[in-house]
Amino acid sequence: MTALPTEVSVLVNGTSHRRAVEPRLLLSDFLRHDLGLTGTHVGCEHGVCGACTVLMDGEAVRSCLVFAVQADGREVATVEGLAPRDGALHPLQEAFRDAHGLQCGFCTPGFLMTLVPFLAENPDPDEHTIREAISGNLCRCTGYANIVHAVRLAADRAAGRAEVPMSTGETIDPVEAPEAAALEAR
Amino acid sequence: MIVDGEYTFPAPRQTVWTLLQDPDVLVKAMPGAKHLTSTGDGAYEGVIRIGVGPVTAAEWSLTVLLSDRTPPESYTMQVDSKGTLGFTRGNAKVELLDEAGSTRMRYRADLQVGGKVAGVGQRLLDQVAKMMTKQGLEALSREMKTRLAEDQEAAPA
Amino acid sequence: MSRRYVGEWVTRNEDQRLLTGHALFVDDVRLEGMLHVAFVRSDHAHAVLRGVDASAARARPGVVAVYTAEDLGDYWQPGPLLVPPPPIDGIVFNLATQVPLAKDRLRHVGEPIAMVVAESRYLAEDALADVVVDAEPLEPVTDLERALEPDAPVIHPQLGTNLAAHVVQRHGDYEEAKSRADLVLSRRFHYDRGASAAIENRAVAARWDGQAQELTIWDTTQAPIPIRNGLAGMLGLMQSQVRVVAPFVGGGFGPKIMMFYPEEVLVPWAAMRLGRPVKWTEDRQENFFATTQERGQVHDAEIALSRDGRILGVRDSFLHDTGAYDPYGLTVPINSQCTLLGPYDVPAYDAEFRAVFTNRTTVTPVRGAGRQHGVFVMERLLDFAARELGMDAAEIRRVNYLVQDDFPHDHKILFQDFQPLVYDSGNYRPALEKALELIRWEGFPEEKRRAREEGRRLGVGVVSYVEGTGIGPYEGARVTIEPSGRVRVATGLGTQGQGHYTAFAQIVAEALDVDVARVGVVTGDTREFNWGTGTFASRGAVVAGSACHAAAQAVRAKVLGVAARVLNVPEGEVELWDGHARVRAEPQRSLPYGELAMRANPLRGGVSPGTEPGLEATAYFGPDRGSTASGVHAVVVEVDAETAMAKFLRYVVVHDCGKLINPVLVEGQVQGGVAHGIGNAFFEKLHYDESGQLQNASFMDYLLPTALDVPEVSMAHRETPAPMNPLGLKGVGEAGCIPTGAAFAQAVEDALSDLSIEIREIPLSPNRLFELLREAPAPSSQGTAP
Ligand code: FES
Ligand code: FES
Repeated sequence: MTALPTEVSVLVNGTSHRRAVEPRLLLSDFLRHDLGLTGTHVGCEHGVCGACTVLMDGEAVRSCLVFAVQADGREVATVEGLAPRDGALHPLQEAFRDAHGLQCGFCTPGFLMTLVPFLAENPDPDEHTIREAISGNLCRCTGYANIVHAVRLAADRAAGRAEVPMSTGETIDPVEAPEAAALEAR
Repeated sequence: MIVDGEYTFPAPRQTVWTLLQDPDVLVKAMPGAKHLTSTGDGAYEGVIRIGVGPVTAAEWSLTVLLSDRTPPESYTMQVDSKGTLGFTRGNAKVELLDEAGSTRMRYRADLQVGGKVAGVGQRLLDQVAKMMTKQGLEALSREMKTRLAEDQEAAPA
Repeated sequence: MSRRYVGEWVTRNEDQRLLTGHALFVDDVRLEGMLHVAFVRSDHAHAVLRGVDASAARARPGVVAVYTAEDLGDYWQPGPLLVPPPPIDGIVFNLATQVPLAKDRLRHVGEPIAMVVAESRYLAEDALADVVVDAEPLEPVTDLERALEPDAPVIHPQLGTNLAAHVVQRHGDYEEAKSRADLVLSRRFHYDRGASAAIENRAVAARWDGQAQELTIWDTTQAPIPIRNGLAGMLGLMQSQVRVVAPFVGGGFGPKIMMFYPEEVLVPWAAMRLGRPVKWTEDRQENFFATTQERGQVHDAEIALSRDGRILGVRDSFLHDTGAYDPYGLTVPINSQCTLLGPYDVPAYDAEFRAVFTNRTTVTPVRGAGRQHGVFVMERLLDFAARELGMDAAEIRRVNYLVQDDFPHDHKILFQDFQPLVYDSGNYRPALEKALELIRWEGFPEEKRRAREEGRRLGVGVVSYVEGTGIGPYEGARVTIEPSGRVRVATGLGTQGQGHYTAFAQIVAEALDVDVARVGVVTGDTREFNWGTGTFASRGAVVAGSACHAAAQAVRAKVLGVAARVLNVPEGEVELWDGHARVRAEPQRSLPYGELAMRANPLRGGVSPGTEPGLEATAYFGPDRGSTASGVHAVVVEVDAETAMAKFLRYVVVHDCGKLINPVLVEGQVQGGVAHGIGNAFFEKLHYDESGQLQNASFMDYLLPTALDVPEVSMAHRETPAPMNPLGLKGVGEAGCIPTGAAFAQAVEDALSDLSIEIREIPLSPNRLFELLREAPAPSSQGTAP
């Protein structure tokens, strides 16, 4: 069943890696287990959730649908390579943090890797375009609104536009005098 | 899931009947079946390769049991297969109707699918079952034609 | 300057790691010599397990071990009962908990039968094919009513019945109320199963260190301390020998609580036995079969009202599908029973339920935990009643709300925490009025009419709910000021994305007047904190947050004490300011916390009697009972009567979750909850066939809402402080998803008001709505008002 290992050479985040891999090894497993790049997450293993999205030659692909051997001779970018250096963040990562675009953060690497090429092509996307762009990525925590805000924030910052303040909700009549409330309710 | 229908074979009823009891013919009626051997009266065992949609094709064990046989009119066929991704159990009632030199087959199968394959293949199973039935019957029909032709060649003109 | 953090948006200190891919999730744990696990699972919903032959699998190269129930010896034990049933008179409760590996019976598809341990996951999965399972199928039990018939096959033969529980709770005299009623309505409601569907599946990794005699377990659990305690007991180890780490967890939503799942119990055992680290990570398909699910219920409910729309009484009797086992006791159905009452004054309540074993995956709390069922039943009854009485949907709610003078309000039945269902506080009407304003209720009939002229069907819905949150028993926290001046906070809680790290840091930073960036929080590691329960029932922020507050106050007192001594002034003259203690009248006489911490831990001289070294304190908080959060959801949908597709146009949530620690975090929870609720209401349904086979066990067929399906929620917060804890907090984690189904149903009906359909089931998939539309009588001309 298990075919003989094949030699592959992949450039990942600028570092070249040579490894012997089984032909059936998925790129997601190759990145996570063989290279220890565990920032790429696996949520469904069948190409639906988008958590495993990485860039292959600059294009977003689902690494759970690609075999490691298919990445031979290609350039792969993962979330670990986004930030310019340790301790710093890529502008899109900053926007996600500032707009609270992540909760558990498990889906986040996939969203980021989907959005990096998207923003490069659409520097000023409207809400609907953003929603379409991320409609292939599932997030169970955020309800997507703040992810959309994060993308807008990143776009606005890149274009030097003013930012929308956080917290959209208002707090109404914080604490009321009990008498007044009772009167009103009666 | 119920799969039912009719199919007409260009052969006399007795010929169709005989062929349908032959494991070498039956194996052709089940797309993906690798081999089938008779293990006793109307019982057969074999291996089948099944893959549905996202379910990777894998080899499953297969047993077939023919019962309630009223030659050459009708029989019941119980087909069970089992693999790592689940199981299928099918119970088919088959009737053969004599129609002037050809034979009309009426079938009604109740198919049950369990395990992982049920969970991921459901959307496709219906189609797959129907497609496999059609392929199987067509393969049977072809096989019959070949056999009939062979018989005719063998028989003195 | 005094630092204000509570109530502010502070970016999360955990985000840096999450965003750069450096956060540790359980599946990221890689250890030298690690082995990997795959499970042979049942394909049958119900069967006798005659035998398992693992010999071929054991012989396969790369396979290190294969375990069946027999191989476990004494370690084979049914799991613990996690929550005992509350002491309700006449209660029947039959216990049957999950087993590590199936022995004689298979009770649901996906139940583990054998555990394969191999050098890689790929090899372990290959070996699954070698394990021969001999199972004889039995008639599956899938229908709740059929399950209770005398001749139904019994899932747990030792119980002799499929009845898992029977509970009756009453207050007032319903029959009497009914006899006085002007209107009595009764209906049957269905609420079906869903998946929790955290994007991260479950995972467990374990390492036994033979030299140190220590077991370390990484687990995607919401409750690391109970897991540590339980596993130590099972494995015959001291609690101090076991460390459970719940690192970053990719969404919990309930099923990642302290379940003692078979995998959770087996992986550490195998690691000890084999002397090598072992890891198992669930795949998505396994998750659909093996991770506990949301509940199915069938309600027969009746409401009695006076002509002016006042509720005189409610009767509800329901069946609750608990699945194959009931380790979580009655939490879910009791939640349904209690939450049904909502924010309303219900003078008579006659409530009964039966929990039923079925051959489906076990049911335990999932976000909302049964509350949505109660809300759905009550809100629907009110809608139907309003229609009969010719009342506005908002008005019927208004007249039935409890009012300020009614608090605390005792419903005279027991809640899931064994305490009487008492609402501590609330003020519902202003929330309703605000929601109506935000959804533009007044102008809606006109908006609807105009849309209709363009051939579009709009509908509006408004519903209320109450949620008991922040229940006990307790949580604790330790706050330490280190010599560097940095502050460390430790709690026993697990966290799954709620932002606890940040919320706790805010509470502590404010109490100590220190930069929030200098406060580090650790959660979810039993090595760091020894006591606690877990993250469930929207209690994390409330209970552990209160403990953080208490510990920080104690440290504050110590800082003042040490500073007074060092600065040689009376304590009352010391104030805290930006990480320093200083003399109020002479602010230049000031000492940084780091130095005080050093002074509090002297290398020479004694610690004076009655004091402790260091600037550290541990505190616990256990509320007497939960605090009542509440809110109103309003929604506008557009329905296409031809395709039966519904689209959410506007969504409003006005909620009262007490004092807000961090409004942005709260809004994130609510927005996420609404998305979950929308999924439940319209997209997500686990389809089981009559033989107990799950038919849509993948994200291809089980549809989670996407960015195109979920609207942005407009929110308003009301802050009615909770009297039950010092910060006035109430829980918020589940609020978004509880009333969503009810709001959606009302709005869809309104959009189709000329077709007079009644929606009595959730999820209402496009397919099901299509069927309802086909069955609907021909359009009438009336009914355009919302
Ligand atoms: S893990 Fe690849 S798309 Fe879900
Ligand atoms: S933040 Fe948890 S899944 Fe997206």
